[in-house]
Amino acid sequence: MASHGIARPAASVQRTEEQLQEEHRKIQEYRDLEDLIRTKVAERQYTVEVLNLTSKLLKANPEYYTIWNVRRRLLIYGLFSKSSDSSSPSKVSPSTSRIDTTPVSSTQPSDSVTTSSEASNTALPDPSSQNPGKNGTTLDLIKADLEFLFPIMVGWPKCYWLWNYRLWLLQEANKRLDPITARKLWTQELTLVGKMLVRDSRNFHGWRYRRIVVDELESQHLQGTSMVEVEFEYTTKVIRGQDGLSNFSAWHRRSKLIPKLLNERGTDDAGRRQFLDDEFDTIITAMYTDAFPYAQSVWFYYQFLMTTLTDSVRHATITSNFTQEDRIGYLTRQLSILKEMLEDADDCKWIYDALIEYTMSLSQMEQRQLDKDETEDCKLWLSKLRVLDRLRGGRWDDLDKELSGSRALVQ
Amino acid sequence: MSLVSGPGHAGPSSLPDELQLAIEPHVKYIQSLDSRRDELEHWLTEHLRLNGLYWGLTALHLLGRPDALPRNETIDFVLSCQSENGGFGAAPGHDAHLLYTCSAVQILAMVDGFGELESRGKGEGGGKLAVGKYIANLQNRSTGTFAGDEWGEEDTRFLYASLNGLSLLKMLDLVDVNRAVEYIVSCANFDGGYGSTPGAESHSGQIFTCLGALSIAKRIDVVNVDKLGRWLSERQVPAGGLNGRPEKLEDVCYSWWVSSSLAMIGKLHWIDGSKLTEFILKCQVCVEILQLVGSADKKLQDPERGGIADRPGDMVDVFHTVFGIAGLSLLGYPGLEDVDPV
Ligand SMILES: [Zn+2]
Repeated sequence: MASHGIARPAASVQRTEEQLQEEHRKIQEYRDLEDLIRTKVAERQYTVEVLNLTSKLLKANPEYYTIWNVRRRLLIYGLFSKSSDSSSPSKVSPSTSRIDTTPVSSTQPSDSVTTSSEASNTALPDPSSQNPGKNGTTLDLIKADLEFLFPIMVGWPKCYWLWNYRLWLLQEANKRLDPITARKLWTQELTLVGKMLVRDSRNFHGWRYRRIVVDELESQHLQGTSMVEVEFEYTTKVIRGQDGLSNFSAWHRRSKLIPKLLNERGTDDAGRRQFLDDEFDTIITAMYTDAFPYAQSVWFYYQFLMTTLTDSVRHATITSNFTQEDRIGYLTRQLSILKEMLEDADDCKWIYDALIEYTMSLSQMEQRQLDKDETEDCKLWLSKLRVLDRLRGGRWDDLDKELSGSRALVQ
Repeated sequence: MSLVSGPGHAGPSSLPDELQLAIEPHVKYIQSLDSRRDELEHWLTEHLRLNGLYWGLTALHLLGRPDALPRNETIDFVLSCQSENGGFGAAPGHDAHLLYTCSAVQILAMVDGFGELESRGKGEGGGKLAVGKYIANLQNRSTGTFAGDEWGEEDTRFLYASLNGLSLLKMLDLVDVNRAVEYIVSCANFDGGYGSTPGAESHSGQIFTCLGALSIAKRIDVVNVDKLGRWLSERQVPAGGLNGRPEKLEDVCYSWWVSSSLAMIGKLHWIDGSKLTEFILKCQVCVEILQLVGSADKKLQDPERGGIADRPGDMVDVFHTVFGIAGLSLLGYPGLEDVDPV
């Protein structure tokens, strides 16, 4: 119902009788399977057989979130408990789980708008019947489920329910298995998400999942330690890889890791200065190579570095002990680098945009108005922006007003 | 997103004749969506049925045809999706989830169906209160954010769905709105944008949900509007469409998320509205045909040719249809009802 990137046929195709019958057969098969699962769950058949039925349905339709929930209940209320002879109580019990037994009518193609629900709920399963399980079969079940998921995730990398279900499985492992065994599972996830990000280096589900896995591996209950160094290294690798410079996801992640990295390294002031210089070097070199001065990801990362100098709440990130003079010095230096850059790329709007922004920042930092030369420069750069970037004319109008009103003052 | 009262925009369009919104085919396309039971796709998308109804109904309201779907059957269907816990699932027999609960409340608000909810709704306490309680119970009281359902996935999408549903029910006092605002603030990035959780990359869909939630909480003041406006305005690509993140392809659904976000922070004029309008109109399938055979062609009236796609020439669906039309409405396209960006 929400399709992306699939071409629409030029005209509506009339299906043959044969095709219609084939489609009808498929619909029947699908709905029969759905009914069968609901019936068996209503009868509380929490068995491997039903689990396999849900596998079949979910392979056909991984977006069917209710069936993922059915699968969770099969594991919690049936299979995990059966697989163990341990009797220590589970720490967490799912809150308000209910098994919905509403039959989906498959007899007549009635209008769903008029279908009334006859939802009747069976009694709640007794949470105390849950069992934390032992390493034996519970582990096998979780492993098998993780393996079952992988090919589906490759086919549907943007399906929220899949990532979500996978995390749930791993959290169950935390509850039911010993930390060393659980940790092994989480460690393998790092490899998995690495593979997913090789397939699509911008998949934000993948990046989110990676953060969660890393947090987990660093956590105390899995006897973890900080992974900030390897994660930082990972972003470096992605950025240096194919199309890496335009990978905003990787630059973003890098921006988030830096404060932690420097704190853990215990970097002193000189070290922080060096670090900032190196980051500026990296990004400016990137701008000069591979025609990248026009790619916006690089410019947003440049903006991040600059905000650590200009933005009062961001100082802590890299430049915690910089004095006002230090920051003014850096800003002045960057302005001259940007002006130099124009010599090779006078059609790059990002340079003009940055020049105006940081010229204004500088005057604010020095608590003064723009001087005459600065104002003239800004007006010139703005006129370039109006020509180079017509889409954002409204923004240039606003900037013009700001410059004319000399509002670039400390308020 | 909802309707605002008042007259629609007027005034002539500066667009060429062949690029006009084909209102009647879109209405027919939406009306035809529920009569596709002979297509496997219809069954494979049951998990979207309730949002689909919301999207279709919103589109019809914007097109000025609010009665094109029958009211009583709409309410019957919505109520048939309710679970005993007060929440709503995507279709009858599907588990309750915040996203569908929000859609259900939005539909009931649109068709003035809270009376029916009061008399026929399920859940503890019944009526609106049961729905409000279902939503409120999903708030994480220590962080302020919301889980989507009993299984615990947290995301700023759910936070928005909750506040939106509760504000329509006039039950915001059931949750800790200040905590929710604090949580959103913790999701802010250096570029002014927001992600799904603290630390997550800025993403136009998530920005829309965060700004929507902040608008409902009347706390847009916490937003860095200059930085965010700049980032959002850079979503417009030379073809006129908008993308969701830097250096991704443009897509009609983002025309809504980005432009309504810009509207919420008062920066809609930072993108080129006429280029965006043109892009959305090109995603109507009938326009392709118009370009081939001229504006008098009868095929324009073929109901199957209604609907809007993600990009020109792609498959249409109700999701992109409503976001395309809502985007046009926001941009002041003539003949459409006004849309509320939240
Ligand atoms: Zn889309």
